[in-house]
Amino acid sequence: MDLTKYEKIFAQESGKYLKELEDLLMQVEKNLSNLGLWAEIHGKVHSIKGMARALSLNKISDLCHLMEEWCISFQQGKLMSSKAAVQTLFDGSELLGTLISKSGRLDSFGDQKAYDSLISLFQKIPPELSVTAPEPQPPPSPAYAQPMIKSIDYVRIRYSFIEELLGLTQEVQLLAKRFPSFSQDQMSSGLKNWVDHYTALMKVLYFQLTQLRLMPVGDFADMFRKSIRNMAKENDKNIDFEIIGGEIQADITLLERLREPLIHIFRNCIAHGIEPAEERTGKGKNAAGKITIEARSEKENLYIKIRDDGRGINKSPIMKYLQEKQNITDEEIADMSEEDIFDTILRTDFTSSLGATELSGRGIGMSVVAQSVDYLGGSLTISSKEDKGTEFSIKLPLSLSIIYAIIFSVGKYILAIPTLSINSIDRIDLSFAENPELYYDTRKLMGVTGEKSGYATVLSLRYTADNSAFTDGKSGLKLIVDNVIGNRPLMVLPVGELLSRIKLFSGIGIMENGDISILLDVDNLP
Amino acid sequence: MKLFVFKSKDEFIGIESDYVHRIIDDSKVTQVPLTPEPYTGLLYHRGELFDVINMQLLLGYQADGSAEPNRIIILKWLDKKLAVIPDEITGMIWIDDEAESKNEYYHENHKIRLIRPDYIWKKLSELSYGPHKI
Repeated sequence: MDLTKYEKIFAQESGKYLKELEDLLMQVEKNLSNLGLWAEIHGKVHSIKGMARALSLNKISDLCHLMEEWCISFQQGKLMSSKAAVQTLFDGSELLGTLISKSGRLDSFGDQKAYDSLISLFQKIPPELSVTAPEPQPPPSPAYAQPMIKSIDYVRIRYSFIEELLGLTQEVQLLAKRFPSFSQDQMSSGLKNWVDHYTALMKVLYFQLTQLRLMPVGDFADMFRKSIRNMAKENDKNIDFEIIGGEIQADITLLERLREPLIHIFRNCIAHGIEPAEERTGKGKNAAGKITIEARSEKENLYIKIRDDGRGINKSPIMKYLQEKQNITDEEIADMSEEDIFDTILRTDFTSSLGATELSGRGIGMSVVAQSVDYLGGSLTISSKEDKGTEFSIKLPLSLSIIYAIIFSVGKYILAIPTLSINSIDRIDLSFAENPELYYDTRKLMGVTGEKSGYATVLSLRYTADNSAFTDGKSGLKLIVDNVIGNRPLMVLPVGELLSRIKLFSGIGIMENGDISILLDVDNLP
Repeated sequence: MKLFVFKSKDEFIGIESDYVHRIIDDSKVTQVPLTPEPYTGLLYHRGELFDVINMQLLLGYQADGSAEPNRIIILKWLDKKLAVIPDEITGMIWIDDEAESKNEYYHENHKIRLIRPDYIWKKLSELSYGPHKI
């Protein structure tokens, strides 16, 4: 029997259980005597054990078995759990992860050693054992011992599979385009209708499939929970992690490229932002620090903000850098906005010009983060208040999402502007136009030759009601374009590295038929 | 190693075949404003966007119209990807591994210039993008 297929399924399924196990361990770490949580933890370990046994992956099932023994003792209140015990279980789950990825084999000396020492640890009674176990809390609702079975709302799919599906539908669409042209008598109108209908359905199918590429930001942020916990432990700090706006959907490829920059920001917050517990209590703050990740979609942008409630960024090394390396006078610094001052950290030569000790590590390597965000066509801003905390705000262009946009042509180019940003489309005789300073000739910008005179198609951009940070665009501007093609739904992909240098495009729009239009970033028109 | 060979103007160009992701026929390339001359446009293929580059122009030749986007070579390496338009695709040859580090290789009296995708990317990065060039 070919077991590889089952091993794959096992790896997928147990990976899911492991993740749930780690989440539960994080919860129980904060509430050691919650017997219900211990019962759930036990359940997860037990499920992995069962699957491993079925496949004779004995190393995995043995480890699970011992971990389970501990869980049962805690669950039944026979033994009192401790932070050290939870840590050992964390180590166990980590090793399980390694074992699962290697199909239950220990192929390095290091792995074998780690395995042996963990096994011998689990064979003992949990550390820091307390004899006076608390009164066991009964597990919830034992009266109706009906197991709760949730309905299946989601299935797990490999991301590359979605890409393959998208590719195939796209190819079928292309095939439809190559449909040979038959004369009237060769093709009945019935057949033609059938083909048209088929093509239309294909387009819809493709469009629906594209939406599979979206992922809730909350699920993405959840992936950091464990790293944050580990980093907090390394730095001997206690940190709560909160996710706001987790339901907002964003393109997986975009989020994937944010992973490294975000880890960097979190590391900064934990190592340098959040103060040690004594310092915090001394300042009247909660002993545990807090890191919040907040997602919000506004107009055509996705905002991701990371906040800590730590000590804030020390301005003095920034001042020193500005005075000594940039020769900026005190008066000029006084005129600088807070935002501009903190943005200094993002410059490539900032960290290298100051010793790490001087900076006390704050903001080190932030230029790398800023660059990664820049590659995605986004921007990073920092705000910070002494003893209140620091906020890193990442603004990203239209992530992969479906938006409506006005598609228009300028010379040979097909461009788009989100419909929400447009107030009206008019035909205007330019020689009689009022406020000529509001008119912007996109033909000239794009290097399209030939003067436009007389009647022209004009897209008037929407006036913005307030002047909040999100509406600093050129409101009320009137763009002169060649022809308006229509108001169409677009799937928006991020601009690549080369095109992001132009700094005029906020995304690449894919129309239902697979054609491309380029989204003009009206906030950045020169 | 296997070398993927194509022709651009009168030059034979060889790229290690591991970098060649796919060859696609008859695709629509969309022109993008404010890009340098060798940048032919964008291609959307199987859910991904590719920058399409005219190899003739990138190598500094005058365009003679023989690089038509009816056959496009998709390159993928590290975290990067590109689509390049050759004049024609010659085929695949096997060369000694030590030839890998050289800049050229002779095959049946033809000189093949060996290039790496990084080189193409570097040349592209040196070009000027944006409105200032107009």
